Amino acid sequence: MECRELTEYALGRLLGETASSEREELNVHLGGCAPCRAELAALEETWETLGADLDAPVTPEFRSRTVELLQDEIARRRIRSFRPRPHARRVLAQAAAIFVAGAVGYVAARGGIGGRTKSANASASTANAAPSWPDLSKNPRLTNVSYRTDPDGRVSIEFDSTSRRSITGPPDDPRVSSLLAYLLSRNETAGEKSRAIELVSQNFGLGASVASPEIVHALATTLKRDRNPGVRKKAAEALASFRSTPEIRAGLLDALENDPNPGVRLVAVDALAAAAKEAPDPKTIQSLREKAFDPSENGFVRARAASALKAINL
Amino acid sequence: MSVKAWPADDRDDRSLLERVRRGDAGGAEELFERYAPALLRFAVRMLSDRESAEEVTQEVFVKVISRAHQYDGRAAVSSWLFAIAANACRDRRRRDRRAAVVPLDSVGDLPARGEGIESRLAGRERRAAVRKALEGLSEEQREALVLARYHELPYAEIARVLGISVGAVKTRIFRAIENLKARFSEGETSWNAAN
Repeated sequence: MECRELTEYALGRLLGETASSEREELNVHLGGCAPCRAELAALEETWETLGADLDAPVTPEFRSRTVELLQDEIARRRIRSFRPRPHARRVLAQAAAIFVAGAVGYVAARGGIGGRTKSANASASTANAAPSWPDLSKNPRLTNVSYRTDPDGRVSIEFDSTSRRSITGPPDDPRVSSLLAYLLSRNETAGEKSRAIELVSQNFGLGASVASPEIVHALATTLKRDRNPGVRKKAAEALASFRSTPEIRAGLLDALENDPNPGVRLVAVDALAAAAKEAPDPKTIQSLREKAFDPSENGFVRARAASALKAINL
Repeated sequence: MSVKAWPADDRDDRSLLERVRRGDAGGAEELFERYAPALLRFAVRMLSDRESAEEVTQEVFVKVISRAHQYDGRAAVSSWLFAIAANACRDRRRRDRRAAVVPLDSVGDLPARGEGIESRLAGRERRAAVRKALEGLSEEQREALVLARYHELPYAEIARVLGISVGAVKTRIFRAIENLKARFSEGETSWNAAN
């Protein structure tokens, strides 16, 4: 062994990765080399000193929050996996077509043209049947909610109340907005809330329909009150994607001042800065300035607030 | 302070992962109980921020649920989890760097007092100095060192986690430790000069 190999040998020894022959070589070398003995002592001291950094514990709060999140995620995946596969859908469609063809043939054979008209009327009434909207004033419990945006831009919301129900409508339909706002404020789990917020972002973000005040209010309340920082962050991002209004600005300013999570505060900084660029607002600028100079604030938030102020170009 | 992250029996981990794949929330919960402490410690040391580390740890377990079917059994489940965590930490740091350039301070101002680093740095001050010294390492050096020093992973496992060769692992740890040694002695010298 040579002096230049000391660190490698020493680390191998510290990590229990040396063979006995290498340990022997190291011992022999150290016996006759005072500088390497000193170097080894310094290396071992460094290694030992690193042990002063205590391990971060998993807090009960973090545990319960994460377990809840994982349960939501698993539940969400289970619901997804129940969707019929394309192959199964094709088989079902074929079976339905055979059944319909049989039924039409039977009706035609028995009643001719008149029968066909009756059948056509029946199916038209089914297609035009108004969706059964829940009466939100009765504060119904809607569970197992799933959301979808159809290719034509309509929003589909399925849920269990007394039975499984499905509501479909354009996002700017006030009843859709009301239902979404209701679900945003009533969903029980972090996963359900997150999915509702995602749908709202997709459909009411900039460039799409304008979000109703009800939705804005529900998101602002979620941002202020939800216990889960991931949900609050999503709510902040959704609000950030909307055209700024006084209520949105107030919600984001409140999050910047009071939210305990730096990730949420970062989203608030970005959103407020973007809005202030369009229309400078004294309160926003004052809050960003305070954040930029607050020594107790997280470094990233502080730096982001400072760059936002620069970008606003006052 | 180091607690070995290595499970006694990888077969248990594989059966837990299989339960997760089948959609068993209990499996995910057990996997969390088993690995969250180690993954959180890793993330805290990589990100130097408790809240970001918690978010990344959550992200790892959510990814485990969505990717359980992709686990091919070539590496231990624990290595696979650490690999996901290492990637998630890198992504987070990249995102944070893009968001704001906050230079990590150099550790020239180590709060060193008294004789020898062992006896000089006590309690919180000492821990803060070590944390700061770790922050001063490059991401690559820090990953390898943290896995070796605090999780006691052997070279070969670290190589699997980081997707590099054993030789590269050794080089990174070697450089990290040389770097830290220099930083610690630098702190010592500056204190001596000041006194």
